[in-house]
Amino acid sequence: MEYNDIRALLGKYWACESTEEEEEALRVFYAGHEGALPADLQEAAPLFRYFHDCSDVPEMPELFTDRPAPWDEPPAIVRPIWQNWMKYAAAVLVAGGLLYSADSFRDKQSDELAFRDTYSDPKLAYEQTQRALQLLSKNLNRGKTQMEKIGYFSEATEKVQGKN
Amino acid sequence: MTSSAFQSLILPYRQKLYCFAYRLLGNEEDAKDVVQDAFIRVWNNREKMPELQSLEAWCMRITRNLALDRLKSRKYRATDDLDRAGELPAAHQTPLQHAEKSDVMRRVHGAIARLPEKFRTVLQLRDMDGLSYQEIADTLEIGLAEVKINLHRARKQVREQLQNLQVYGIQ
Repeated sequence: MEYNDIRALLGKYWACESTEEEEEALRVFYAGHEGALPADLQEAAPLFRYFHDCSDVPEMPELFTDRPAPWDEPPAIVRPIWQNWMKYAAAVLVAGGLLYSADSFRDKQSDELAFRDTYSDPKLAYEQTQRALQLLSKNLNRGKTQMEKIGYFSEATEKVQGKN
Repeated sequence: MTSSAFQSLILPYRQKLYCFAYRLLGNEEDAKDVVQDAFIRVWNNREKMPELQSLEAWCMRITRNLALDRLKSRKYRATDDLDRAGELPAAHQTPLQHAEKSDVMRRVHGAIARLPEKFRTVLQLRDMDGLSYQEIADTLEIGLAEVKINLHRARKQVREQLQNLQVYGIQ
């Protein structure tokens, strides 16, 4: 390319009127040119050589090597049908266990309620118990007196029958 | 959008996005992380895709925002690490020529790195990534006129620094 063409392209470049193709032509010219340049063309040489060098970007590394890419759908897991019965059996067992537990809990609650409702006032309960035991004791003593009388009568009967 | 549609429409941009992120960050690992995060964000917002005019510009915009966030959060400076440019010696260059070239490349890189962010991004998108003015406008969500103004100012500032470098040997 003639130097005059380069001068014209540079003028357009600095004025931001150059096309992408013209700018690429400048990069290629400066990157490939060897030897001395006219003084007015030297000014832009480092810039276009820099742009040319910058086009060498390191090779693109592989992405998502450390984590899965979000758009990678997980593969669908197809299980044989016979594997599903365990799921339902487990559900039935859990349900049965829950029912049994609830039933046991209810029975326990009702037993506790039966014992708890026998008295409301401990002092009154004590007095009532004392009265009941005194009545029982009195009746037992009465029964003992009657048994002693029967004992005397039995002894007398044996004497009369001549066992002596 | 299905997984297969996403992979056929979006994944082809990965090289372009990676180059863009790499030039912003100057680091392969960070560029890879940013591109991965960008793809995840695009996937999570895939229901917006039918409303978009340019999927590529949308992906570029997301990548740019993530890269800038990373630069800000880490106080990152992809500045004077121009070893990569220096590691591209032509076989015919002498060590002296190679060193001189590396030095010049470092200075050009510094001149671009010192540009305000909005100028630098436009310059990069145009002169390194080869985007059209319209694509840049879509990517940065600005008007065509603003793209041209920012690009003009960016090139003007770089040119002034190159002239100082050439005439006075300073920047």
